[in-house]
Amino acid sequence: MKIQQNYTNDINLKIKRRRWMNVGAIYLILLLFSVLFMGTFLFGAMSSLKDNPSKWPPTLKTEQLSLKNWIGVYILARQGGAGGFFGELKSGHEVSLQITYKYPTGVEIIPPEAIIPKRFKGAGRAALDLDKEFTADFVEIKLIEEISRTSVKNGTQVSYKISIVNSSQKDFDELPIDLVVPYKVKFKKATFSPNRIERLGMVQSWNNLVGGVIPYIFHNHFRVFNENYSRSTGKRLFTTWIYNSFFITIVKVITTLIFASMAGYALARLKFYGRNYLFVLILFSMMVPGQVTFISNYLVLRDGIFGFTKLFGGGSLLNTFTGLIISGLVGATAVFIMKQFFEGLPREMEESARIDGASTYQIFAKIMLPLAKPALGALTILTFQGVWNEFFWPLVVLTSPMDKFTLTIGLLSFKNTYASGAFDWGPILAGAIISALPIIILFIVFQRYFVEGISFSGIKG
Amino acid sequence: MKKGLSILLIVTMLLVFSAVSMAETEVRIVGWGGTDQSIVEELINKFVVPELADKGITAVYEPIVDDFQKNLINSLSAGTAGDLFYMDIFWAEYIIKAGQVEPLDNYLAKSAVLSKDDIIPSLLDAFTFDGKVYGIPKDFNSLALVYNKDLFDVAGVSYPDEKDTWDDLENKFSKLVKHFGGEVTGLCLAPEFARFGAFAYAAGWEPFVDGKTNLMDPAFKEAFNWYTGLKEKGLGVMPADIGQGWGGGALTTEKVAAALEGAWVLGFLRDNAPNLKYGVTFLPKNPRTGQPGNFIYTVAWGINANSKNKDAAFKVMEALTSPAAQQWVLERGLAIPSRKALADNPYFEKDTPEAQANKIVFLGASAGNVKPFKFKEYGGQWMDPINVALSEVMSGQKTVDEALEIAQEQLDELMK
Amino acid sequence: MENRWSSLKEKTAPYVLLSPFLFGFIVFFSYAFIRSLYFSFTDYDLFSIPNWVGITNYINLFKEHLFTRALRNSLTFAIIVTTLQTIFALLLAVVMNQKIRGIKYFRTAYYMPSVTSSIVITLIFMWMFQRKGVINYLLTLLHQYGLTIGVFLALLAGIQFLLVFKEKLRGRQVEYLEPSYIILSIILASIITYVFKDFGIIKPIEAKAVDIFWLNTREKVPFWAGPFAFPRPLGAIMILNIWTTVPTFMILYLAGLQGIPKALYEAAEVDGAKGWQKFWYITVPQLKHITFLVVTLGLIGTLQMFDQVKIIGNQAPLESTITLAYYVYQSAFPGASAPKVGMASAAAIILAVLTLTVVLIQKVFSGEGRGLRD
Repeated sequence: MKIQQNYTNDINLKIKRRRWMNVGAIYLILLLFSVLFMGTFLFGAMSSLKDNPSKWPPTLKTEQLSLKNWIGVYILARQGGAGGFFGELKSGHEVSLQITYKYPTGVEIIPPEAIIPKRFKGAGRAALDLDKEFTADFVEIKLIEEISRTSVKNGTQVSYKISIVNSSQKDFDELPIDLVVPYKVKFKKATFSPNRIERLGMVQSWNNLVGGVIPYIFHNHFRVFNENYSRSTGKRLFTTWIYNSFFITIVKVITTLIFASMAGYALARLKFYGRNYLFVLILFSMMVPGQVTFISNYLVLRDGIFGFTKLFGGGSLLNTFTGLIISGLVGATAVFIMKQFFEGLPREMEESARIDGASTYQIFAKIMLPLAKPALGALTILTFQGVWNEFFWPLVVLTSPMDKFTLTIGLLSFKNTYASGAFDWGPILAGAIISALPIIILFIVFQRYFVEGISFSGIKG
Repeated sequence: MKKGLSILLIVTMLLVFSAVSMAETEVRIVGWGGTDQSIVEELINKFVVPELADKGITAVYEPIVDDFQKNLINSLSAGTAGDLFYMDIFWAEYIIKAGQVEPLDNYLAKSAVLSKDDIIPSLLDAFTFDGKVYGIPKDFNSLALVYNKDLFDVAGVSYPDEKDTWDDLENKFSKLVKHFGGEVTGLCLAPEFARFGAFAYAAGWEPFVDGKTNLMDPAFKEAFNWYTGLKEKGLGVMPADIGQGWGGGALTTEKVAAALEGAWVLGFLRDNAPNLKYGVTFLPKNPRTGQPGNFIYTVAWGINANSKNKDAAFKVMEALTSPAAQQWVLERGLAIPSRKALADNPYFEKDTPEAQANKIVFLGASAGNVKPFKFKEYGGQWMDPINVALSEVMSGQKTVDEALEIAQEQLDELMK
Repeated sequence: MENRWSSLKEKTAPYVLLSPFLFGFIVFFSYAFIRSLYFSFTDYDLFSIPNWVGITNYINLFKEHLFTRALRNSLTFAIIVTTLQTIFALLLAVVMNQKIRGIKYFRTAYYMPSVTSSIVITLIFMWMFQRKGVINYLLTLLHQYGLTIGVFLALLAGIQFLLVFKEKLRGRQVEYLEPSYIILSIILASIITYVFKDFGIIKPIEAKAVDIFWLNTREKVPFWAGPFAFPRPLGAIMILNIWTTVPTFMILYLAGLQGIPKALYEAAEVDGAKGWQKFWYITVPQLKHITFLVVTLGLIGTLQMFDQVKIIGNQAPLESTITLAYYVYQSAFPGASAPKVGMASAAAIILAVLTLTVVLIQKVFSGEGRGLRD
């Protein structure tokens, strides 16, 4: 009896342990998959902080995420006289950078040469700002002082302190510096790591000694906003694109919600000539790729909808938001979703309202629409996602000027700006990550609707 | 009724106002984005506005960043194209033959400041069809050898210079590569006819003989073998192999000692490798012919044949290509001007690396076997088979003979 | 009067409600479709008046190398991607169909690729697919640590087998892939592998960095597939595309899975069905409708693949990535030559017909008699 008891206990324990381990295995698998799906984004986001995201081998180690560098950047920015997070070099302030080199045996120990370069920001775009004031014209390198010398294996390690003073009356938000040492002298460490090491290790280059922690970490993200501006209006292009995308998306979401529920209701509940044919046509249109109809649509917009816009003194609708919006007031998919939803609703309320003498419009507005809230929620999200991410049609309609672009087309132009000359992936990745943020935030907040929307329609976007 | 009247009134007023504002002619200029935008806008401010403001002509620049030709052709068809636009020698022929570009002879005859004789003839010829001039070249470029001085210094190898033949250059590279033990390679070998072609021309190859292209010509093969041979010997690398798209990008990595580029690389290096110590010299000579080869790249201003403001556009063109404007462009090292008179400009004697580079590029356009960068009406399609052959041979996918045979077949197909 | 007005209002109501939709539908779909059909029989070039040329465009298309390449690429892409994404989506949905804590977090994580735009994802992937990019680096690691990983997997299989075998000897009902033992095996195998590595018994290979051209190549893969091989850049786009679409379809399957009655599985368990038997004989047939939907949507989506080709652009040779949709765009808006609207429209019509045919074929094969949905 006792043995029997023990045996059952044993079994129970085993089952418990087994269940626990089963759960563990499932979590392990789930975790693996989320690394696959999320990891790409996270790694992209992390690499977008790097000075050179295509450096081989790709590592998780990011200079911009090291505490040591943050402290160094913070200290220097504070020395500059402004905050440590957003720094400046204020009038009358002095900053000093410490740097250590290893001089191999046989190489003469001479201090590095320090140069404050005149740098233009941006891929050629600002190269003509000839009247620009450079920090280099106003600040001076006060001293380069040796602070310690220790001998190590095969050479000597020497530390220097380099002080730069701003004796002018101006404040500067930027202080780049290049240090030049003879060939074979090795850079060991500095207050914070240089952004680049060039010329076979002879030059250590910092973009900004006084920038502060935030611009240091999000260097590429700041570039995305600062380096791309419209020379005609002076506005930042990336901000304009974000605004454009939001504007177009919101307008299209509103038109889609209104017109899709109207059409969906009519298709689901009202009797009219050709209803079934229309429905078949709608299904058909959902299968036809946009590339089939785009030439005609392009021409229709080009000619201002059969010359209609000329009546209002307008011309071609290409390169206008009006054109982009009017050609996509409501999609067939949205109508399809609303039709399916309305068909699933019970008829009783509607019928009793009709007996009470309500008109079709009243029934639609007062009874059906309030009932359609869940479908409208899902449709909002789906449309938002679809329009925000739309690529092909804006590509055809919006070609110039660049302040008319949406975010997707703007990002494509980034590829031409940054990846056709030097493969400067930093700003490209940064731009991509920033432009994905709204949709990701939206997704996390309204996750339920996303999932519902998918199940509703079975169609993405 | 009253309401109708007031609407009518408002509409009339709007029409009147728009007519008034039309009195000022706005010339829309379409060109590339990037540095070009900065340059042209600066030119507009400095030269167009002072000249034409009192004549009621204003100019606005509309840059096209992505796919310029596509955008231009689309907008020409849509009737929305600018009044004045860039025409690259490479594809100008197509839009000119489509009747989209205004012939300039009548305007030139009347012009007081711009004449055909001011422009370097070989550039103007590229935009002359059936005796009519369709574009005024704004600047030009040719290829030069841009090299990284540090690498040569450290390796103790003398810099490449204008006396070098292919073999001399190859020797210098092999010494350099040896010194760095393979860490660094010699020449950036873009698998493109746009670079390689200069060597084929140096060997004396003619791209079109009786309307046909012969890749089996010994001169072509000589150049092809030398160019792809550098890769095989480890003395050169394709830019893609070091994660770059072209020679300029390759130079910034400090993994190549030299690249073949035009003056366009200068601005790029200034922005992307400000500390790079580079030198510039002529392309090496073919040991047999004793000549270097080169391309001339040029871009012209063209006037939209359907523009409503052709006269105003020509005025703007005059201002943009005026001697003062071209001098300004040259002195800032932005582009090499197309006016003959500027050849003796003191800028070319300046001691900065950029001025020296510009001088080399300027002179390179007339040294040896030089041809304009255009391939009849075939455009890029003509180069494609050769580019593929270069790429396949240099990445070891095909032998020289196999690759050239396929390329020859495709060219025959194209040109039949 | 009042009455007639309201009856008129009632009669016109459907049309009024439909009118905004119909405006767009007629102008930007029906008219456009018919006009494309018309253009496909003309030589229209955006500049001059179109001339009727009969079926010349269609004949010329099949003579053109780039078009046949595009057609092949599109079909290969559609078939491979649809197949793989359907399988992965189903498997993932089965894994996700668990009532455990935190499943919501995982769902969010999984769905991320599906909500972001094609341009964002393609740019990130292009960066990863560079010659010196993340993908090649991971492959290099895999190569270098191949032996280590192999030893680990061998140990894993061995230990698992021993554990299960031991249980079987005791007469218990256990499967070879019993998850609870897998955990134990993983832990044991890791420890042993680590010890091996520490004692230097297995070492990473000193291999050169893997240098696969993912984008800039005309090479075809897999090399043994002969005429069925496809260009590697297209393969890169396939990977990218599967990665983005699997989550969407997973959600559809998940909804389907939740609708399968529990009783079916319970009955099968009584009959002694094993895990995979339950999956094959209950789950798969029960999800037939969803599978039809997933495959249909997958085919429609993959046949119109355009964004990735455009975004990758000159980073890959055109003929290695070109699809029908891109061919249409490219012919209508070419670079340095005349727009060939006629050819573009003919290719567009072929694309439309192809899509419809493929969907119909799959409808016939799956025996799905009803509409697109349900």
